[in-house]
Amino acid sequence: MTTRVLLVEDDERIRQALGLALADEGYEIVETATGEEALELVDPDLDVVLLDLMLPGIDGIEVCSTLRSRGDLPIIIATARSDTADVIAGLEAGADDYVTKPLIAGELSARIRALLRRRRRPSGDADDGGSTSDVTLGDVVIHRSREVVERAGQQVHLTHTEFRLLAELAAARGDVVTREHLLQRVWGYDYFGDTRLLDVHVRRLRRKIEPDPDEPTLVLTVRGSGYRTGP
Amino acid sequence: MSERLTRSWRTVSLRWRVALAFGLVSTAIAGLLAVTTWQLASSYMLEQRERGATTQATVDGRLVADSLRRGSDELPTLLVGLTGEPGTAVLLRSGGRWTTAGREVDPAMVPAALVDLAAAGTTSRQRVVLGGTPVLAVAMPVGATGDVFVRLAPLTELDRTLRFVSAVLVAGTVLAGLLGVLLGWWTARRALLPLTELTDAAGRMAEGDLAARLPVRHEADLAPLAARFNATADALAERVRRDARFAGDVSHELRTPLTTMINAGEVLHRRREELPDAARRAVDLLTADVRRFHRMVEDLLEISRGIQAPHSQDLEPVDLAGIVQNVPDHLVAGARIDVATPAPLVMADRRRLDQVLANLCQNARHHGGGVVRLGVLRRDGHAVIEVDDAGPGVPAELRQRVFERFARGARTGRDGGDTGGTGLGLALVAQHVEGHGGRVWIEDRPAGGARFVVALREVAS
Repeated sequence: MTTRVLLVEDDERIRQALGLALADEGYEIVETATGEEALELVDPDLDVVLLDLMLPGIDGIEVCSTLRSRGDLPIIIATARSDTADVIAGLEAGADDYVTKPLIAGELSARIRALLRRRRRPSGDADDGGSTSDVTLGDVVIHRSREVVERAGQQVHLTHTEFRLLAELAAARGDVVTREHLLQRVWGYDYFGDTRLLDVHVRRLRRKIEPDPDEPTLVLTVRGSGYRTGP
Repeated sequence: MSERLTRSWRTVSLRWRVALAFGLVSTAIAGLLAVTTWQLASSYMLEQRERGATTQATVDGRLVADSLRRGSDELPTLLVGLTGEPGTAVLLRSGGRWTTAGREVDPAMVPAALVDLAAAGTTSRQRVVLGGTPVLAVAMPVGATGDVFVRLAPLTELDRTLRFVSAVLVAGTVLAGLLGVLLGWWTARRALLPLTELTDAAGRMAEGDLAARLPVRHEADLAPLAARFNATADALAERVRRDARFAGDVSHELRTPLTTMINAGEVLHRRREELPDAARRAVDLLTADVRRFHRMVEDLLEISRGIQAPHSQDLEPVDLAGIVQNVPDHLVAGARIDVATPAPLVMADRRRLDQVLANLCQNARHHGGGVVRLGVLRRDGHAVIEVDDAGPGVPAELRQRVFERFARGARTGRDGGDTGGTGLGLALVAQHVEGHGGRVWIEDRPAGGARFVVALREVAS
């Protein structure tokens, strides 16, 4: 089964070259230049969206949050610079990963593969080192076999990435999990670069499961090294 | 000689020159006043004293003359009576014979000219020193021809007074000179304050602080200086910004065609086996240089932002052990990793710190045969990262220059020029480290080779 990628990029030549190169890597590419068209083109057969944040018309952030509100379709955003608010805004809007321009087919392909690999692999896999049993964290219950999280009996909707992050932290049972380890385990590629990705995902996770996201009690930051679950 | 004096005078700071000039002028004025005062006061006092002494001598002389005329034998008693004031002596030469009373004085000590003048009938006076004491001698004729009366009045008191006055005047002059120097120094300091500020501001600007400005004062003489300096600084800062923006804009514009080229190249590269030999070699060359071009554009874009402290949203406590452990394996293959425990923590933009270390490792690979040791330690109160290679080292005269942009020079030629570097790697290292308020420098590795040292401020964990 070939992987279907929706490529949203407004620059004609980049779109063509990137589409060509990704197709050459074996992906099936659906191309569009605008956010409006992208939202129309989304169908259940798509595996991943590659979204440029700088778009004419509806901007990438809005496309991203609209897509996220519709479901758990993996989204990779492309930003101009790595140290701007763009990255954070895109991740806050629900993106699973981000790449910085220029977009290079080889690198993108590695990201896409990593993103899809963990999606296809159930999180209760043997290499998670844990069982598929449920884990309780405060009033949050993680049903690992079903990938369902409940808070005070109510189901909390987490994206796949958020769920894996929480499961990874919970598996350490209160021990510190380094950022590098989390990036490697959850995003699946060797960490090198920044950890903004992780921090924003932790923030998103806290907003969904913490009673007070500003005073976290379940997912705690260990200054300078990583995160751990509390209390 | 005078030329040398002029030159050495110019090396004295303006402040001290003004102070010395003030001091000299006030010394001169005070000195002139003192000399005049001295002249007037001393001559007046001396005159008073002389007049008094002469009057007294005249009165005494008349008494002696009367006594001589009467031929009374009370003369010695009279003479003794005339020496009322202590230290006073009276001498009488009558018929060629000296009689003295009061302080003991040898008549031979009285200047002969004075006695002769009196003998000839003229009253005269003279200041003399007798036995170490200044005295005023008044000689006058008495009675018979050739008889002379001499009165010696001590001037000790006057002398003491004059000495005191002169001491006061000299001290006053010296004090005035010192006050002049002080006043000059203070005035110069006040007047040169804007110059000091200008020096500071210009110095800060030279160190790269383009925001350095002079405070605007409302003093007529200084306002134009400050305004002009600030305008110049504004223009300079704008120009630097424009240059940086230009480099940034160019890089940014280059990215789009570059993205097309890289991706088109990727397709060709994947299919290189299908290509005829010459085309394959061409594709290899093309893709290698497009990648390098890409890195260069990225570095250029990064460096065009200039030295910047990281945004607060990018700052986080970073464990240096984590940074060292996350250098890509191919850059540190075979290197020893020494990390102090507990590893120091710094506040940093992790992405940039990663780039610093990656670039240093890349540099070691290109120029030093690869990293042999990565160290994280504390040195002189700083958190320090050391990147060691076992290459030829960096000559002392190049240790500053290698951190300049495109400072490739002698270090690249060796391996055919193409080391895959962009010529910006170490410049970016320097820029990022400075942006973090840290320092980077090169040392000799004790066992041979170069040691690049990055020092950052440690924060408490």
